[in-house]
Amino acid sequence: MASRAPVATGRLLLGVRKWYYSLCGFNKIGLMRDDTILEDSDVKEALRRIPETQYNDRMFRIKRALDLSMKQQILPKDQWTKYEEDERYLTPYLEEVIRERQEMEEWMKR
Amino acid sequence: MKGIRGISQLSTRLYAAQAARKRRFHVAARTGQSLAQPLAGLKLSPGAAHSLKDIHVTRLPSGLVIASLENYSPASKIGVFVKAGCRYETPDNQGVTHLLRLASNLTTKGASSFKICHGVEAVGGSLSVTSSRENMIYTVDCLRDDVDTVMEYLINVTTAPEFRPWEVSDLTPRVKMDKAQAAQSAQIGVIEGLHEAAYKNALCNSLYCPTHMVGNIQSGHLHQFVQNNFTSARMALVGLGVDHTVLKQVGEQFLNIRSGTGTTGAKAQYRGGEIRLPSLSSLVHSAVVSESAAASTSEALAFSVLQHLLGAGLHVKRGSCASSKLVQGVAKATADPFDVSAFNSSYSDSGLFGIYTISQPAVAGDVIRAALAEVKAVADGGVTAADLTRAKAQLKGQFLMSLETSEGLLEAMGTQALVEGSYCSAEEVSKNIDNVSLTDVANAAKKFVTGKKTMASSGNLIKTPFVDEI
Repeated sequence: MASRAPVATGRLLLGVRKWYYSLCGFNKIGLMRDDTILEDSDVKEALRRIPETQYNDRMFRIKRALDLSMKQQILPKDQWTKYEEDERYLTPYLEEVIRERQEMEEWMKR
Repeated sequence: MKGIRGISQLSTRLYAAQAARKRRFHVAARTGQSLAQPLAGLKLSPGAAHSLKDIHVTRLPSGLVIASLENYSPASKIGVFVKAGCRYETPDNQGVTHLLRLASNLTTKGASSFKICHGVEAVGGSLSVTSSRENMIYTVDCLRDDVDTVMEYLINVTTAPEFRPWEVSDLTPRVKMDKAQAAQSAQIGVIEGLHEAAYKNALCNSLYCPTHMVGNIQSGHLHQFVQNNFTSARMALVGLGVDHTVLKQVGEQFLNIRSGTGTTGAKAQYRGGEIRLPSLSSLVHSAVVSESAAASTSEALAFSVLQHLLGAGLHVKRGSCASSKLVQGVAKATADPFDVSAFNSSYSDSGLFGIYTISQPAVAGDVIRAALAEVKAVADGGVTAADLTRAKAQLKGQFLMSLETSEGLLEAMGTQALVEGSYCSAEEVSKNIDNVSLTDVANAAKKFVTGKKTMASSGNLIKTPFVDEI
């Protein structure tokens, strides 16, 4: 990807991403991106499938964020979720769920 | 004559005509010629290497055994037989075979659960799993032309299942349903209890998941069991209505991912015990057995003849079982409704033989003692040659009739391929049955009478004796 383009462009894009991440602000109350996904039926099914440890961590983070939001506070800066640590834990399961649903719809169309 | 018969049988004969391209049967044109023999004076084209009715068995270098019979039927049946029955369960994964039985439609590496189910149904086929104490059998039936499609699903299910954790935990209600249905049947309860009481290991494992493991079998257990037991040397690929070369190709390419013999099962140790399952049922089911012989020995054949000699079920519906010694003997002991038959099952390294009685609670003891007295009479030499001939004929009849259905034939081919790596023809088996002598049968009965007994009873057990009281 960045073989011919100057390294500076790659670093620029990364900088933009990080800036946008902190602008979103959910990392300030200790959430990860996948904690904030809107829970439609696909996401609910994916949540049913994730391992128990990850589900418990998610619940803890959401509870903590709700508590902070009620108190109108944010976490101290050293406890904010860092861009590098943000793990897309739900995305593989979600993609699988969507793929299965599409296969079913393809089949039903025939 | 030829023309009229030919047209009415056109649809059925089309398959035979298509498949038997190398031969032509002018059936109506020849009279007095047996249809079971090839026609005399027929010039065969050089490609026809084997005759119609042969069962071909090959053993591949990886240990996989391939058996097939081209029966020119419009429907094909393919089975994968694996030595992975519940005897190979270890104490920490009891019940894993029950879940494996239910897991045949789960997502695999090549196809999702949805695709397997709808794909098989779309061609009008069916995929099923049967498991016994020794083997696990995955069978797929379909029309002859759709063999490739369903074969792909079969190979996926047997060699590359993924056992996703959420799909495995979704099987728990089905396990509970199976157990609830099994609990309805007194026979299943008695037979499972009998094996539990008779053996210390291996064969004492139940076909059903034990209650403490329901919901506790994880995806990891299933993976490990498949890893250890579904190896090429313990599998056989059997087909009815498929070409042998096609099966060989499939076996070489796809069924050799796990080589070796896997973990060897422990040798079954007979211990002889008793188990009583009280219930509110109005009938008492009771089985009294002793150790018999392993399946491939001639002693096992003697036990089978003995089983038919004593009486192994009705031959005439609602008849009086006049030929069953057990029934006639017990009829003298009680006027209440009862049923009694000889119980015989053989496994690869052991077997159980005895009697199974169903009686009213008040006379359970009398019925059991009368039945055992009949067996003792056989052991003491009270068998005539006519009885023996009758028993042999009944055994042969039962065996040959079991080969009449495609399921029975597939199972016979598969279990023989798995255990021996070859197929013993029906004629050979009939000959072996004929060679069983009176002394063999009497010795078998003596072995039962003198052997350490195992007993399993269920029902209202107030008047049922214990194993040391019979």
